[in-house]
Amino acid sequence: MSFTIDKQTQEDLNLLGKFKKNSIINLFNRTCTRKGELLLESMFLLPLTDPDEINKRSRIIQYFQQLHTQFPVPPALYGHVLSYLESSSSSRLGTIAGTISKKIAFLAIGDNGYETVCKGISSLIEMLGIVEEFVKKIEKPDSPYREQIEDIKGLFDKKLSERLKKPMRSHFSFFHTLYYDSLFRYTYRRQLNRLIQVLSEIDVYISVSDVAREKKLSYAAALTREHHSTRIEGLFHPSLTSPVTNSVSIERDKNVIFLTGANMAGKSTFMKSYGIAVYLAHMGFPVPAAQMTFSVLEGMYTSINLPDNLSLGYSHFYAEVLRVKQAAREVGSSKDMLVIFDELFKGTNVKDAFDATVAVTRAFGRWDNCQFIISTHIVEAGEMLRDNSNMQFLYLPTKLDHNRPIYTYRIEQGISGDRHGMMIIRNERIVETIMNKASME
Amino acid sequence: MSFIIDKQTMDDLNIFGKQGKNSVFSIYNHTSTRGGAILLEEMFRYPLDNFESIKKRQDIIQYFYHKRTEFPFEGAVFDAVAYYLHNTDTRTRIDAHDDKLRKRFQRLMKTDTEFQMIHKSILGLIYIINTLHDFFEDIEDDERILPEMPEMEEVKNIISDERLRFVKEERETKKLSLEKAGRYDNELRYASNKEMHKILSFIYQLDIYISLAHVAREKEFSFADVQPSDCNILKIDRLFHPLLADPVANTIEVTPQSNVIFLTGANMAGKSTFMKSFGIAVYLAHLGFPVPAREMTFSVRSGMYTTINLPDNLNQGYSHFYAEVLRLKKIANSINHARNMVVIFDELFRGTNVKDAYDATIAVTEAFAMNKNSIFIISTHIIESADILKERCGNIYFLYLPTTLENGVPRYTYTLSPGITDDRHGMMIIRNEQILDILEKK
Repeated sequence: MSFTIDKQTQEDLNLLGKFKKNSIINLFNRTCTRKGELLLESMFLLPLTDPDEINKRSRIIQYFQQLHTQFPVPPALYGHVLSYLESSSSSRLGTIAGTISKKIAFLAIGDNGYETVCKGISSLIEMLGIVEEFVKKIEKPDSPYREQIEDIKGLFDKKLSERLKKPMRSHFSFFHTLYYDSLFRYTYRRQLNRLIQVLSEIDVYISVSDVAREKKLSYAAALTREHHSTRIEGLFHPSLTSPVTNSVSIERDKNVIFLTGANMAGKSTFMKSYGIAVYLAHMGFPVPAAQMTFSVLEGMYTSINLPDNLSLGYSHFYAEVLRVKQAAREVGSSKDMLVIFDELFKGTNVKDAFDATVAVTRAFGRWDNCQFIISTHIVEAGEMLRDNSNMQFLYLPTKLDHNRPIYTYRIEQGISGDRHGMMIIRNERIVETIMNKASME
Repeated sequence: MSFIIDKQTMDDLNIFGKQGKNSVFSIYNHTSTRGGAILLEEMFRYPLDNFESIKKRQDIIQYFYHKRTEFPFEGAVFDAVAYYLHNTDTRTRIDAHDDKLRKRFQRLMKTDTEFQMIHKSILGLIYIINTLHDFFEDIEDDERILPEMPEMEEVKNIISDERLRFVKEERETKKLSLEKAGRYDNELRYASNKEMHKILSFIYQLDIYISLAHVAREKEFSFADVQPSDCNILKIDRLFHPLLADPVANTIEVTPQSNVIFLTGANMAGKSTFMKSFGIAVYLAHLGFPVPAREMTFSVRSGMYTTINLPDNLNQGYSHFYAEVLRLKKIANSINHARNMVVIFDELFRGTNVKDAYDATIAVTEAFAMNKNSIFIISTHIIESADILKERCGNIYFLYLPTTLENGVPRYTYTLSPGITDDRHGMMIIRNEQILDILEKK
């Protein structure tokens, strides 16, 4: 079973996008190798749904965080090795024949293909030496990464180890070249491919654990889906420089968070932080919180950044309705989903938005296997929903300092009573300005 | 002072629109010459705010409208000629004494492209001036009198000047000798360069007026009856939206006793379309252009602000509500400083809670109503505010766009009716999409 997520959700949370500033993947991407970067990307595209797998990966990353190490192979060296290994032939004879013909080409017309082969061989030998040292360093009996390390050690069998122990020469003879070449590109091909794979993983884990250390992320504990519980303490948004932290939990009998507050009070940021934490947790990655336990979900659906389409007028409302319908389909198919709606139905008039918010929130809330966070500026809708026992009413307050709004960004219990609309109008002296001339006439 | 307007308003009314999309400008942009198109765009950008200049422009267009004048020139000639006149580098001048054998041979083989271009442009200018001459003669024979166009007399003087006598003589010429080409080149491009430009820009104006008259006839637009600004009148008979394929027309009259229009109606009932049609008609009328209506009478206004598709600017940290308030502030200042504005506000206070929206709608509408010189059109869903406003202000004109239900499917007439409605269909759409049913199955 894969984790259900769609493009809009990924964009709302700004998860992907190598070239996007502040995307979450960029935050974690400190990989040294292209292969590592690709692996990181595939992890981001495929969150896990099995708690054992999640916890396993999470432990591995923690392990690397404790090791506090660096990716051992220099990038230039690694590049030579990769391009050398990628040009493998599928038969021993093919490999040898290829190399011989390169040598002939080198002698006849000065073709440098042969030199590349020599360079590849010496680079690989150098890298194997480095890896052997590295493995010794990170090897521990209780390591969660035992399996993979054993795989690497398997490569260094007696034959290879002895070969490697021979003193390195700066230049190989033609027959040495032929011998090593068929050894690496044919005999040990499978093992070397596995080595590259493990090195890519190590690259990702080191990169992620470095970020975790620096950003003070923590590791979430995954529970099976039957628990229906997510508890987060000290949740924050990882892209902000000095974020405010909040604690929040969603349990089966309190599965709907109804969030109110002024537009600038931080509703969207809070919702995004929650979404990002849950998403990262499902990848087995460290999360932007002090502590987190969660039961695995089967998917996530958000609708946070629809604002700029207001110019579409009514069709914007229709687009919102369709988005809610998509979410309703997922929820209705009995999946355990996290659904986040920010400023639901802002594309229509206040009254329709009021009615629709109340009706939709009630209908969604019945699915207690799912989690919902719904925000609105129509505080009256909250009053209507007070009698539903599964609702958590939270708000982000606006404090006033000499008639200037100040935001704490700290979640509080209840429904926002902030009605600053008229105050803002008064501050801007709208009515007085309009009447000014009329009163003079 | 010019007509007060801003980008938000121009965007709301789709005056220029986005690149490649239909806009109000695209309806009128049918000039034959490129120079005319550039000038028209400039003209279109700046509506007028005084009676005389609006009236003058209208009269000229109407003259061509009634006379059914066709643009007498071939539009393609002007591109080459305009380029030629701008190229005043003396090194390109034709030298009649430079009749070397090589040059002569090149000319014979038509490979001297520079000479060919200049030759073609001289003949083009001769054609243009002769045609313009005929055009003036044609006008003078007519019993209708062309209203004074700017620079017309001057242009007439230029083309009848003795220096340009050769133009008449060369009327039928297809090929000029080198000696003549050199002489004419010198006269047209250097000696009379300024005058030639004047002729071109006069023809561009002609092009604009004639093409506008065509548009009026083709689209069945009419010419608004313009009144001085102190009359305070605005009456539009069968107003329609010029960009719609099959528009519904509405008739509306705004008087000082009904200068605040309180518009209600369901979301798709046509509120925005009506507001936009109104705004577009006011805009075009102040350009002196033909308007999309059967009849229109208006007194000149000092400006117009609309708020129909207000962007959020959430990136700048503004909420929608705050964006609305800032917009209102700008409008309030303009009402304060200008004589009489047209203000259109769609879905006033959609970005806040119901209570605040209610309070604010009353406060702001009431304040608007104090300004009897200006015109306000406000749409809202907070119909409860109507009762209080009716009590407090006598000059609010309540209009709505009705919805009828046929077997649960809403139908819209798009025709204004007096009164208030609380038609809303948001919940109906949600029900039609069966969202609640999907969630019910448990």
